[in-house]
Amino acid sequence: MSAESLALISATSPVSTAAGVTVEIGGIPILLRSDDAEFRWMVEQRYASFVNTCFEPRYQFEIDLRPPAEPSDEDAHVTRDGRLWRFERGDFRAEWDPQLCRGWVRQTPNPYSIDTILRIVHSLVLAEEGGFLVHAASAVRSGSAYIFTGVSGAGKTTISRLAPENVAVLTDEISYVRRGRNGYRAYGTPFAGELARVGENLSAPLGALYFLEKGPANRLEPIDDATAARLLLRNILFFAHDDELVKLVFDAAFEFVSNVPVFRFVFTPDSRAWDMVG
Amino acid sequence: MSEKYIARSPAVASRVLDGEIVIMSAIDSTLFSLSEVATIIWQAADGQTPLSEIVHKRICAEFDVSPEEAYRDAEAFVEDLAQHGILRVSSKPLEIDIPVVLEDSWA
Amino acid sequence: MQDLNRKALRLGIPLSVHLDVTYRCNERCEHCYLDHDDHGEMTTGEIRGLLDQLAEAGVFFLTLSGGEPLVRRDCFEIIRYARSLGFNVKFKTNAVMIREREARRLRALGVEQVQISVYSHRPEVHDEITKLPGSLKRTVAGIRLLKAAGLKVTLANVLMRANFEDGEGVRLLAAELGAHYTVDPTVTPMMDGNTSVLRHRIPAGSLRTVFHDPNLVEDVESFCAPPAPVDDDIREGLPCSAGHTACYISPYGDLYPCVQFPFRCGSVRRERFLDLWQNSPQLAEVRSIRGKDLTTCSSCSHLGTCTRCPGLAYMEGDMRGPSSADCEKSFVRTGIVTAGMIARETTAIPMAGLVQIKPLIQASP
Repeated sequence: MSAESLALISATSPVSTAAGVTVEIGGIPILLRSDDAEFRWMVEQRYASFVNTCFEPRYQFEIDLRPPAEPSDEDAHVTRDGRLWRFERGDFRAEWDPQLCRGWVRQTPNPYSIDTILRIVHSLVLAEEGGFLVHAASAVRSGSAYIFTGVSGAGKTTISRLAPENVAVLTDEISYVRRGRNGYRAYGTPFAGELARVGENLSAPLGALYFLEKGPANRLEPIDDATAARLLLRNILFFAHDDELVKLVFDAAFEFVSNVPVFRFVFTPDSRAWDMVG
Repeated sequence: MSEKYIARSPAVASRVLDGEIVIMSAIDSTLFSLSEVATIIWQAADGQTPLSEIVHKRICAEFDVSPEEAYRDAEAFVEDLAQHGILRVSSKPLEIDIPVVLEDSWA
Repeated sequence: MQDLNRKALRLGIPLSVHLDVTYRCNERCEHCYLDHDDHGEMTTGEIRGLLDQLAEAGVFFLTLSGGEPLVRRDCFEIIRYARSLGFNVKFKTNAVMIREREARRLRALGVEQVQISVYSHRPEVHDEITKLPGSLKRTVAGIRLLKAAGLKVTLANVLMRANFEDGEGVRLLAAELGAHYTVDPTVTPMMDGNTSVLRHRIPAGSLRTVFHDPNLVEDVESFCAPPAPVDDDIREGLPCSAGHTACYISPYGDLYPCVQFPFRCGSVRRERFLDLWQNSPQLAEVRSIRGKDLTTCSSCSHLGTCTRCPGLAYMEGDMRGPSSADCEKSFVRTGIVTAGMIARETTAIPMAGLVQIKPLIQASP
C-alpha cells in the first residue's frame, strides 16, 4: 500500500473540503471532489441529468488531476487488497475503501477515466446486492423496463433507434440492473454507446430480458435458465479476476434468469420489431 | 544551331496509367506525369531522331503552334528531364540501353 | 504523388506491390515474423511471368524483399527483369552480402532506393538482435559501397525492447553515411499467428519516452497533440491503402492485402494476378471497410489520426476490430484514452466455473 493512499484513506484523516459534483446512477450517489472548477464543470456537462440530484452521497472520491506518478499500461487492472480495491490503467490510478465509503483518484483531466472508475465502482457495489452492469440496450414502455442484450453487432443500437415515440430509451450500450426487495429494476446510465446520447435518468421494474438476433421475421423463443444465464454472463461487465467476485456475479446471473422472463428475440430491423416487446 | 539527340535514360521507371505516362527518376526520385506534347517527345526519344525533326514532324503537325515556339518549349522540357536524369541529351546519336514498356491496359 | 494515388484509387489500379522473393535469410532476427525454411519458392520463370502480369496490371512501385533477397542466386536476374519492365524498384536487404560488384550493378540497373534495417549503432546490440556476429560491420560496409555507387539508401530502424535507446545513435549513423533514416516501433506477430515475438515490443513507459524525443520525432508538439474532432470524411475514409492501391505477394505466390495482413486472397500460381486483384472475394471484403464500419474504432476520438493497421487487428481476431498495439501508440502519444482501451476495461468471466454452479441451481425449488 503506497504511503500516499495511507494518508488519504484512514478513519482519522480529515475529510476534504474541496467542492464536488454528485453523480447519482442507479440510485447510488457518488460525490466527486475536485478543486478544479473546469473539471467539475466538465463532469456536470457530461453526466447531465444524473448530476446533483441528491446531496447525501453514499461514497466520495477525491480527484487529483495530475497524471499518475507511475503510469501503468493501457489495460485496466482492478485488484483487491484486503478491504481496499485498487483500479489502474495508463490514464488513472485509484483506490476505494467500501467500508469507509471513500476513495481517491489520480487522473489527467479527461472524462474517460472517471467514466471507467464509476463503471467499476457501480459494478462492484451491484455485485454485492445481486445486480450487474450489462452490455445491453434498455428502454421503458408502459411503466416496465426491457433489456436487449447481445454481442457487438447483434442489434442493440438498432433496436434502440427503432423505439416508438412513447418509449423512453434508457441506454443503447450499458444497462444497469439492480436487485431490490421487490424484484429487479433497470436504471438509465449516462454511459453512451454509438447513439452517443447520454441516457435518461429513469428507472422501472424489469419486464423482460431479450437476447437479440437480427433475422427476416420477428420471433420470440423461450430459453432455459442455464442457457440464459450463460448468455447473460457473456455480456455482464466484469472487471476483476477475483474469486469472491466471480461467485457473486454467477449467483446474480442465475438468480436473475430464474426471476425475470427471458427470451431469444429474432427481430427484423424495422418498426414491426417493437410490436413484440411488452 | 547544332542538332540535339535525345534518348530515354535507363535510370527511370515508367508506366502508362489511364492514358498518361508516369515516370520516376531513379537518380533523384522525382515523379513526372507527362502532358500530351511531352509524351510525344518522350516516346520519340530513341536517340537517333534529332529533336528538331521530332518537333517539326510530330508536334507542329499535330498542334497549332509555331515551329520556333514549339522548339523552344521542347528544348526547355528536354533540359528539365535531363537535369533529373530522365533523358540523355547529346549532339550525336545515342544508344538506348533498356526498352521502356508502353502498353496501356487501363485505357 | 498524391494525384497519382488518387487516380490509382479511383481506377482501382494496384499501384504498389511488395514481393518477397524468399523467406530464407542469412540472419535470424529475434523479432522476425517469418518462417525461414523454403517451402517451395517461386522459380525464376514463375517470377518473370508474375512480373509481366504486374506490369500489365499497371503496377508501378515494386518493392523486392524477403527474408534476404540476395540469398537467391537469381536475385539480380529478377531485378534486371523488373527494371526492363519499367518498374520503380525499391530493394530491401541487410547489405551483408553487398560488395562493390553488387553495389555497382544495383546502380547500373537503376534501382531507385535500397532500404536496410539497422538496429543499433553499437555492434553488440545490433548483432545480438540479428544473431549474426559481425553483421553490423558488414552491413555498414555494404551501405558505404551503395552510397559510393550513387544509390539512395534508407536505414530503417525498428525500435524494440533491446535497442530503443539507440534510436539517436542510428539516426546519427545514417547521417554520417549519407542515408535517410526512418524509425518505427512496430513488431508484428508471426504470419502463422504466433505472438511470442511480441515480447520484443517496447514497453509503454519507454515508448512514451521515444515519442517525446525531439531527436527521433520531428515535431513533438504536433505529433503528441490530441486528435482533431472526427468528421464525416474520416468516417467514410479508408483504413489504409492495403487492398486498394497496394498488395503483397509471398515467395509462394500467395496474395495478401499487405505483408502485415495475413488474410489470404488467392494464389498467383493458380490464377492470373489481375483476375485476383479484381475479383477476389477476400480483397472485396477488405475493400468494403470504411472508418464507420470499424466495430470499436468508429466511436474513437483517434479515428482520423491513429496508425491502426487492419492487419494487426485481423491478427487479434477481427479485421474490423481494434489493434491494441496502435491503441497503445495513440494513447501513449497523446494521453487520450482510446475506444479500444474502454472496450478492454472489462474482461471475460471465467466460464469454467459454470459447471460447478449448475447443480446448485437445479437443486433449488
